[in-house]
Amino acid sequence: MTDVSIKVTDLTLRFPVYGVDAKSLKKNLARVTVGGRLGASNTGATEVTALSHLNLNLRAGDRLGLIGHNGSGKTTLLRALSGAYEPDEGQIEVRGRIAALLDLSLGIDPSATGVDNIRLRGRIAGMSSKEIEDKMDEIAEFSGLGPFLAMPMKTYSAGMQARLAFAVATAVEADVLLMDEWISVGDADFQKLAHRRLLNLVERAGILVLSSHDAGLLRLYCNKVMRLEGGVASEVKDIRRLDELLAAA
Amino acid sequence: MESGQHMLRTGRRGTLFEFSMALRDLVTSYHRRGLAWSLAWHDVVSRYRGSILGPFWITISMGLMVLGIGLLYAKLFGISVAEFMPYVAMGIVFFGLMAGTINEGCDTFVQASSMLSQTSLPMFTFIWRTVLRNLINLAHHAVIIVGVILVFGLWRVMDPFPALGGLLLTIVNLAWISMLAAIASARFRDIPQFVMSVMQFAIFMTPVFWKPDAFPDRHAFLTLNPFYHMLTTIRAPLMGQQADGLSYVILAIMAVLGWALTFSVFAITRRRIVHFL
Ligand SMILES: Nc1ncnc2c1ncn2[C@@H]1O[C@H](COP(=O)(O)OP(=O)(O)OP(=O)(O)O)[C@@H](O)[C@H]1O
Ligand SMILES: [Mg+2]
Repeated sequence: MTDVSIKVTDLTLRFPVYGVDAKSLKKNLARVTVGGRLGASNTGATEVTALSHLNLNLRAGDRLGLIGHNGSGKTTLLRALSGAYEPDEGQIEVRGRIAALLDLSLGIDPSATGVDNIRLRGRIAGMSSKEIEDKMDEIAEFSGLGPFLAMPMKTYSAGMQARLAFAVATAVEADVLLMDEWISVGDADFQKLAHRRLLNLVERAGILVLSSHDAGLLRLYCNKVMRLEGGVASEVKDIRRLDELLAAA
Repeated sequence: MESGQHMLRTGRRGTLFEFSMALRDLVTSYHRRGLAWSLAWHDVVSRYRGSILGPFWITISMGLMVLGIGLLYAKLFGISVAEFMPYVAMGIVFFGLMAGTINEGCDTFVQASSMLSQTSLPMFTFIWRTVLRNLINLAHHAVIIVGVILVFGLWRVMDPFPALGGLLLTIVNLAWISMLAAIASARFRDIPQFVMSVMQFAIFMTPVFWKPDAFPDRHAFLTLNPFYHMLTTIRAPLMGQQADGLSYVILAIMAVLGWALTFSVFAITRRRIVHFL
């Protein structure tokens, strides 16, 4: 696939918050560094504007790093790119198969075995049963969990769980990889493996969008960077200008 | 929008557009029906992991209830066990399907919140998951039905086709009720309690454990109870009797109107459901 692309035009995303009285928030509505903008919708309900008028264009080979304060909208943007949210305004268009590694525990059943979880997670990620069985050996090997795959996941350490989740999630033939902050899980050996696999994925004409607070990590994986501030995006810059963006903080 | 290769989400509004998006969700869930099935199957397996009898535990407890109530009530009401036992057996098993699908419907979206807020999976997938899970359970409890049919020789008199028709109509109706409960429960957290109370009330108001002989035919008490129609269209033919044709008609009308209502509510709330959670 050469026409892999992400096209976001004028995206605005608001979270309606139910069960909170907007009036009681009024006195605290001053801008803060943390979080999106709180406000009241025209119907009087409380709303958080997590992203406002965001534009983004990415093509194959782009590896975008997202930076920004807590609550600046990074996770929200990644979720929106994975198709979970309907925009309030604007449009999101993604061409290519999406793999979202936003939450390691997604679809994981701790009481099921590693193998069962590979199947379940693979199904959720959009693989057919046949695809999963075909890839099972490869996934099992990459995870390096060996006999533990026949054990319930609750007997795994956090790092072991991360290995499994990473192995399944990256087994999908994905063109667009979305990641939120977790890339440094696993021991040194596994990190090396994961690093190679990721680079491999990105090289296969994919797009990577990675949110992180770790500048070193971003330099390692990304070639572009964008800064979010209270849901407002900066322009996309070359990763070599990361310091400028960070300094703007 | 979901070819798996192309994802499009827009802020476009308009009633027609919302309905077409809702329809897309439905169609996608059909294309990915294997996922709904896997999730449902996984639910059943994981719920009973490590247990030897698994879902058959529920079957056993239902079986005991059937035996106890069958014998006791037959004595109390002076009806023959051969007539009353299969009657109660089918009542309990099929009402179990109704109560299960509707009560668990309340959890459908709430339980799937992490998946809904991180993936573009169709929402209908989770509705099917709940319905299929309850059908898998029903398949286990069918042992009881087969049992009473064999023991009491009902296979000689029963008429399976109208019963299957009744079961089909019942499932179609349960699905929309379950979905409506799912949407409402996502937004209003009092709904599950409310639904549970209604279902508890319904088990006594519906002729599950008792025979409606005391009522003249088509008494409002029965005609206005949708669960009565669901139950009687399945049970009567299996007992070798004929269910009132009116019951089938009512179920069919209910299915059409119910789905029209539920689908409209879904189309209108679809973009916000994920924010309710
Ligand atoms: N489900 C939700 N309901 C209401 N508001 C939300 C929800 N999710 C996020 N928000 C709000 O949207 C804004 C952006 O949140 P988001 O999670 O995208 O931040 P982030 O940049 O990922 O932050 P962090 O660095 O802490 O991970 C925040 O103000 C947050 O309060
Ligand atoms: Mg985040």
